[in-house]
Amino acid sequence: MADYKLTELMVVRCAKEIKDEEVVFVGVGLPIMVAAFAFATHAPNMIMLTEGGAIRATAPEALAITVDDPAAFAGGDATSGMLATMAALQRGEVDVAFIGGAQIDKYGNINSTGAGDWTKKESFTYFAGSGGANDMATSGKRVLAIMPQDRKKFVEKCEYITTPGYLGGPGEREKLGMIGGGPDCVVSTMGVYRFDEKSKEMYLAEYFPGQSVDKIKAACAWDLKVSPNVKETIAPTAEEVKVLRTLDPTGFYLG
Amino acid sequence: MAVIDKRMTLKEAVSKFIKDGDTVYYGGFQIMVPMALTHEIIRQKKKNLTTIESSTDVGGLDIMVGAGCVKEIHTAWIMNWYVKAPYAIRRAFNEGKLKRYDISNFGATSAMMAGFMGIPFMPILGNIGTDMQKHNTADLRIIEDPFTGKKVNVVRAWRADVGIIHAQKADRLGNVISYGTRGVTDEFGANGTKRGVIVTAEEIVEPEVTRTDPDRVIVPYFKTLAVVHCPYGAHPSACRGYYGLDIRFSQYQGRYERYADLLPAFLDEWVYGCKDHAAYIEKYKSKFGQAGLDRLKPKLGYTPSPKLGIDYGYHDPACWKGVPMYTDDRLKAYEEALAAKKGGK
Repeated sequence: MADYKLTELMVVRCAKEIKDEEVVFVGVGLPIMVAAFAFATHAPNMIMLTEGGAIRATAPEALAITVDDPAAFAGGDATSGMLATMAALQRGEVDVAFIGGAQIDKYGNINSTGAGDWTKKESFTYFAGSGGANDMATSGKRVLAIMPQDRKKFVEKCEYITTPGYLGGPGEREKLGMIGGGPDCVVSTMGVYRFDEKSKEMYLAEYFPGQSVDKIKAACAWDLKVSPNVKETIAPTAEEVKVLRTLDPTGFYLG
Repeated sequence: MAVIDKRMTLKEAVSKFIKDGDTVYYGGFQIMVPMALTHEIIRQKKKNLTTIESSTDVGGLDIMVGAGCVKEIHTAWIMNWYVKAPYAIRRAFNEGKLKRYDISNFGATSAMMAGFMGIPFMPILGNIGTDMQKHNTADLRIIEDPFTGKKVNVVRAWRADVGIIHAQKADRLGNVISYGTRGVTDEFGANGTKRGVIVTAEEIVEPEVTRTDPDRVIVPYFKTLAVVHCPYGAHPSACRGYYGLDIRFSQYQGRYERYADLLPAFLDEWVYGCKDHAAYIEKYKSKFGQAGLDRLKPKLGYTPSPKLGIDYGYHDPACWKGVPMYTDDRLKAYEEALAAKKGGK
């Protein structure tokens, strides 16, 4: 078995959710690493969009620190600004909206606005806010999320819904006229989740090597359902790890 | 507006064109943050400003709020990414000194596009069904689509009184040349202003040079109030072709942003204590060395440059690997005292 880090496992697992030739709207952080890896391996014909406005048929030469980092733009195919890429989202042309967040709930709603009750101003702890995550998750055909996991981050109900998952359950997105299909897959620091077709509730599909269903359930604040076919995530191969480390030679993202 | 020479100092531009109580379009995104203008607004102790923008990084707006210049913000995303929080904004909100109206990036962009086009509102697909929709009815409402009868979310047009932006180049008439990201929202935010925009630029070019490639102009001269020649005017954020992002300085500043009783020392040293932006850069050199600035230089010649002699350059973020954190005696003493206090508990 290859020697790998948790971030490397997460990146390789996420990349498997991207198919060749898909249009992928890439958020900041590890998603940028995932896109670079997908380009270098099974998805050379992927189309990468960022909210800073870069449209790319090739991976950036180096890994951008932010979505608006000039490194994400150098050598791009078009750098026409946020209007161009976000409009493509609203036209329904984005296959995969790839986001992160601070807190997720059982219906895949994401909070990146703050902790606490917003109406109680004195105790609300602001984070940065939506950025483009809300737009991406509203209109992308399917949403892929990458999140750290513990009981404060995987909650029954988000304290503030910044970015819609399935909101309160089945049919709610449709009622509001959202064109995107909603969350499809969540990769956490512990395992991989999917959403039940009928109930729209998030369930555990895979546990990472070294994790167990019990440990994962303990790091989740609601009674997490587990797929009857739950399995261990396939570890990255030595070749995959080698490619990854070539892409991030200084360990900027991978640690 | 007359075709006149609009060049002036930072001090003149801000005192002449920004009034207490104004709504200000805050330019840039994660790069091209108008930091020199931010510092000057703080220096001149402007009050009760409202800001509009989509996303803004490196803590520029955070220190402007921390300095007490802002009463209301409309935003999709604000923080200093390099310390992972908007500390001064958080405190001001908790203390009831700041009103905050949240919206998504494209919600904010659409609001500014509506302002840019002079129409009252713009339909958008996002924000619906969320707590932003619930709490920010100042900007977001659901109406009936008159053509289909379906529900549609609309965002109110945002028009600032005045805009502040940083660009690579400008000419003396006020034509603003920005490239590399098309300014993300600067085109909408700046042109949508009621009075016009103040621009700081790395270089001033002749109008004849601008006219060799007018495609690059994101704000035409008639919307520009003032042109300020200001190298490193976006530091510590990046300005493509001129310098990359200064992560270590953003982190250094962010550690000051974190504590209410420490931030004033940063403002005293780096803002009030510097008479202008050139003095701020001199201070930087004396404290963190010319090497700190040199690290920000992009490799030029990365792409052939057919237009305006533009060389986009390329700054590799990997340059930061192994570079130690910036600090100083005051910050060290503060953080050590804090750690000792925590350890003692």
